[in-house]
Amino acid sequence: MEARAALTFVPEKIEIRNLSKVFPGRPRPVVAVDNVSLSVPAGQFVCVVGPSGCGKTTLLRIVAGLEEQTSGQLEVVHQDQSKRVNSMIFQEQSIFPWMSVRDNISYGLRMRGVEKKTYEAVVQRYIAKVGLTHFADAYPYQLSGGMKQRVSIARAFANDPEILLMDEPFAALDEQNKILLQEELLRIWDETRKTVLFITHSIDEALVLSDRVIVMTAHPGRVKADIAVSFPRPREVYKLKSQPEFGQLAYHVWELLREEVMRAKELEAATSAS
Amino acid sequence: MSGPAASAVTDAPVQDQRAAVRTELRLSGKTKGQRLEQALSLFSPILLLVLWEIIVDVHLLDRRFFPAPSSIVDTFKDLLVSKELLIDVKDTLVRVLVGLVMGTVPGLLLGAAMGLSAPVRAFFKPMVAALFPIPKTAILPLIMLIFGLGEMSKYVSVAIGVVFLVLINTMAGVINIEQIYLDVGKNFGANRWQFFRTIAIPGAMPSIFTGFHISVNVCLLIIVTVEFVGAKTGIGYLIWKSWQTFSIETLYVGLVTTAFLGFLAQLGLDALRRVILPWKPEPR
Repeated sequence: MEARAALTFVPEKIEIRNLSKVFPGRPRPVVAVDNVSLSVPAGQFVCVVGPSGCGKTTLLRIVAGLEEQTSGQLEVVHQDQSKRVNSMIFQEQSIFPWMSVRDNISYGLRMRGVEKKTYEAVVQRYIAKVGLTHFADAYPYQLSGGMKQRVSIARAFANDPEILLMDEPFAALDEQNKILLQEELLRIWDETRKTVLFITHSIDEALVLSDRVIVMTAHPGRVKADIAVSFPRPREVYKLKSQPEFGQLAYHVWELLREEVMRAKELEAATSAS
Repeated sequence: MSGPAASAVTDAPVQDQRAAVRTELRLSGKTKGQRLEQALSLFSPILLLVLWEIIVDVHLLDRRFFPAPSSIVDTFKDLLVSKELLIDVKDTLVRVLVGLVMGTVPGLLLGAAMGLSAPVRAFFKPMVAALFPIPKTAILPLIMLIFGLGEMSKYVSVAIGVVFLVLINTMAGVINIEQIYLDVGKNFGANRWQFFRTIAIPGAMPSIFTGFHISVNVCLLIIVTVEFVGAKTGIGYLIWKSWQTFSIETLYVGLVTTAFLGFLAQLGLDALRRVILPWKPEPR
C-alpha cells in the first residue's frame, strides 16, 4: 500500500538549493562547494562522483550536520522524530576501538535510549546480515579492514535512520572485499529502501549501486551532470558489469568526468607553481 | 588450479576469520623459546643470591655492608614474628592507597574537564605548568608544616605527587581522541553526558592508565621519602631507623620489602589493565 502511495507522490527527502561552503584559508579563502542544487526523493539511491578535492565529502558532511554551509538552503524531511534523520558511514576506520562489535552496532540505538531488549534483537539481526556472528564480542583490533567496515555499515543500518550518508566507505578495501561489500550493501538496501547519498570516485561503484549519478566539477564543486541509472534490481555486481549497456553508460560518465579530472590536475599544477 | 580468482573472492571472509584467529593464538600461546626465556629469568636471581652468599662466606665481601642473604632472611623472620614488619607494610600501604585515591580522583575530573573545554584549559594551564615541575620532595617541609606530622601529611604528599601526573595524562588523552570519533558521536546524537561516558573517557583511557601507572611508581618513591623524615611507622621509617641504629640486616629487609611492594604493584597494574583496557592488547 505504501509503495503504491510512493509511486503517485514521491516527496523530496533532501532538498539542497544554491548551497556553498567557503573555508577561511591562506592566502585566500577556499571555495569547497559552489552553488550546488540537488533534490533527492525518498527511497532513492544517489551516488555523487567527482575528482578528488571537488568538495563532495564537504557536501555530505553538511547534509550530515557535521559542517555548516556558508550560504544556501538545506532541507531534510525528518518524519519520525524518535529516530535520527541520518546516519553516516565514514571512509576511514570509524568504529570505536574500545567497544565490541556488538556495542558498536548498538551505539546509535543506545544513544537514543532504545531499551536493551528491543535493540538486542535488532543488533543480532544485523550482525548476522554482515556475517560477523562469530565476532559479536570481538574488539576491532581483532578484525580485518573489511570486517571493520562491515561493522560500520551494520551500525548505520541498525540505527534505522531515514537517510544513509556514505563517504567512500569501500575506498580503503581491496578489490575482492569491495565487491563482496557492495553486494551486501545492495542486498540490505533492497530490504530497506532507504534514501542514500553515496560519495565515491569510482564510476563502476556508482553505476552498480545507484538509481542516479551526480557528476561534480573539479574545484570548486558544482553539479555538472545528473544521470539516471535504471538497471533492474536486484543487481549482481559482476553480472551487471558484463552488460553492454553498463559499459556504454560507464564510458559516458567517464567522458564527463575526464574533463574534470584533467582540469583538477591543471589547477593543482597552477597552485603548486604559484 | 580450478579458478583461483573465483575462489579468492569467496574466500575473503574466511581469510578475515583466519587472520583474527591467528591474532588470538599469538596472544595466548607460548612458544618453546618463550618458555626457555621464562626459565632463565627465574634462574638468574637465584644464581646471584647463591653467589652473594658464597662470596660473603669466604670474606671477599664486607658483611657489615653486604650481610649474607641467609642472615637477612633470619632478620626477616624475626621482624615477621614480632609483627613489626607487618605493621610497617600495612601503614605504608594505607598511606599509598589513600593518597592515590586523593590524587587520582581530582586529577581525573580536572584533567577531563581541561581536555574537553578550551576555556577551562586556558584557566588552569598556567597553574599546572608552574606547579608540576616542582620536585614533590621539595614541598615536603611545607606540607608537614601545614598538615602536621600525622597521617594527613602523608596522604597529601602522595596525592600531590599523583594529581599532576593523572591530570596531565587525562587531559592529553581527551585532547588526542581522533576527530572521527567525535564526528561519530555527534552523528549518532550522543548528548554531553553520553559523549563523556562513551567517547571521552574510554578514548582517553590508555593515556589515563599510563598516568596512573607512573603515579603508582612515584607514590612508592614519595612515601618512603616521607617516612624517612616524618613518621614513626612504615617501610621508609624501618629503613631510616636501621640506618641510624646500624642494623644493616633490617635495612636490607626494608629494601627487599619495598622491591616486593613494587613488584606487587606491577602485578596489580597488569591485572587492572586487562580489566579496563581489554580492547588494547599490550604491545610486545
